[in-house]
Amino acid sequence: MVTAVTEVKAKSPTLVSKLDDVDLKARTLDFTPSVMNSVQKKYFYLWLILPAVVVLAAISLYPFFWLIWMSLNDVGINTSSAFVGLKNFTRLLGDDKFWNGWQILLTYSALCLVFEIIIGVFIAVVINGTRFENILVTIFLMPMMMAPAIAGLIWYFLFNSTFGWYHWFLHSIGILGDTSIIGSTDTALFGLVIVDIWQWTPLITLITLAGMKRVPRDQLEANMVDGANAFSNFIQITLPNIYPFLLIGIMLRFMDNFRFIDVILALTGGGPADSTNILPVYLFEVSFRYFKLGRGAAIALTLLVVTIILGKILVRVFEGPASKRIDVGN
Amino acid sequence: MASLDVVTYRTPLSRIWDAFVVIFLALYLIWTLLPIFIMFMSSFKDLLAAFQLPPVGDFTKIGIFFDFVPTTKHYYNLFFNIGFSTYFFNSVSAALGSALVSVVLGSMAAYALSRVEFKGKADLFFWIISTRMAPVVAVLVPLYAIFRSFDLVGTRTGLILAYTTFNLPFAIWILKGFFDNVPYAIEEASMVDGSTRFQAFRTILPLVAPGIGAFLVLCVLFAWNDFLFANIIGSGGAKTLPVATRELVQPQNIQWGSIMAAGVVTTLPMMFLGLLIRKYLVTGLTMGAVRE
Repeated sequence: MVTAVTEVKAKSPTLVSKLDDVDLKARTLDFTPSVMNSVQKKYFYLWLILPAVVVLAAISLYPFFWLIWMSLNDVGINTSSAFVGLKNFTRLLGDDKFWNGWQILLTYSALCLVFEIIIGVFIAVVINGTRFENILVTIFLMPMMMAPAIAGLIWYFLFNSTFGWYHWFLHSIGILGDTSIIGSTDTALFGLVIVDIWQWTPLITLITLAGMKRVPRDQLEANMVDGANAFSNFIQITLPNIYPFLLIGIMLRFMDNFRFIDVILALTGGGPADSTNILPVYLFEVSFRYFKLGRGAAIALTLLVVTIILGKILVRVFEGPASKRIDVGN
Repeated sequence: MASLDVVTYRTPLSRIWDAFVVIFLALYLIWTLLPIFIMFMSSFKDLLAAFQLPPVGDFTKIGIFFDFVPTTKHYYNLFFNIGFSTYFFNSVSAALGSALVSVVLGSMAAYALSRVEFKGKADLFFWIISTRMAPVVAVLVPLYAIFRSFDLVGTRTGLILAYTTFNLPFAIWILKGFFDNVPYAIEEASMVDGSTRFQAFRTILPLVAPGIGAFLVLCVLFAWNDFLFANIIGSGGAKTLPVATRELVQPQNIQWGSIMAAGVVTTLPMMFLGLLIRKYLVTGLTMGAVRE
């Protein structure tokens, strides 16, 4: 044993101090057991988790119970409230704007996703592995860094029918008339979709690129040898491999369309004639324009229930193959 | 254009395809940059110059866009007449405050969650992540009612707490993935050397420091870019940059020059931060689901 230690010491000088240390501890019997008392161990971790859980409980769980209480009351601008039972909910059943809000939310999300997936994946496929990949991605992701509220204002300027360059362009090529794209009930939703595409397509590109790095090269090559061309290679090999990544992108963008309404508030505020009044915008209007906080709470609860269901699906998707780190040299 | 080294023969069809790809990428590049470019240019334009457009359908007069005398009066107006320095400070302190709280508490919790198994862990985890995914407006309704009764509306403290509702779950969730990648053997070795559990936790912190730093930056970015919380919770005393910019839109008089300048002031720091943490961006924006 001693000879072995001296041998190692001679071979690797960096180990010397460590081994001396062990030597000393073994001799003085001052050895801390590596497996601590398991109760003590549990308490240590509990104390680490506790602060975060307490803070989260205060700012998320407590408000959640408040929300339920509010939905059962008539809460207005002042602090007074009256218990109304389920009236806030039964009113929603006959509320056209509520159902309209859901419908537009789904249409809006679906439109955004279709375009973002097609464009985002296409870009990822054509730039993957080229010399320009890094610089192009860096430029492409610039819109994502912009505050959505600011992006909304910029696009409000660009879409303006008297001085907006984008309106001028669309007018010049004959797609639009004198009315701005966000000024007509037929086109306003597309105006919002355009902004969403501008800002968030790069996220799909980024996710797809991450997925494409994991596509096994030997499979692609074997398929090529079998006579497949680039297109069928994409359909047969690449697409199944990046599918879990795309699923994550789809879920994330879908949830974000529920979460953020900054762009819509800046561009249309839900108008014209409720054509862009997606449910979160309607909720904002009820709660903070008319200050019907009780009714707002009822709408918020329906939105939360759907989000939680989506979240359950999302977590399952998250734990899928895309999150596994694969250490193959690529 | 595929990433294969296999020899491919150039057919006329593949040439057309390549040309199509190049044109598409060029157009997409313009499409991405143009709004940012127009914002930047317009912030240096006099109002009349910013409103100039060629006649409809006349593409030869596009050059009119560059036909202006640069002025910095909008920036001067923002900082010396409207008080944007205060709003800038509000933005920085609220974003940084919530990011620090989230990352400090988050890394402690994430570390523990990564190292210990207990009953109900999956449920605790789902609760944490669903807090992050909840629609901002839905969170805002009860939070506003509660903050109103605690006089937190219009204060920076209120804003920091509000931002923590989405930053803390994010930090816990994403940093857990980070700690999962650090082998337990390192702490074990350190404990064999006689350190306590807490000291062992500290020995692995340098290993995850780059990640923690990057996600701190990302928390700042999320909070900085928020509009809804700042608009309702921060209204009055703690106006942040996006809210102050939005307020330049008045029914009778939209101050476009100042809006564009405010847009530049709000956006530039975040683009810089985004580039800084470019490596961690995919992981961060997908909440750890996708790793590069």
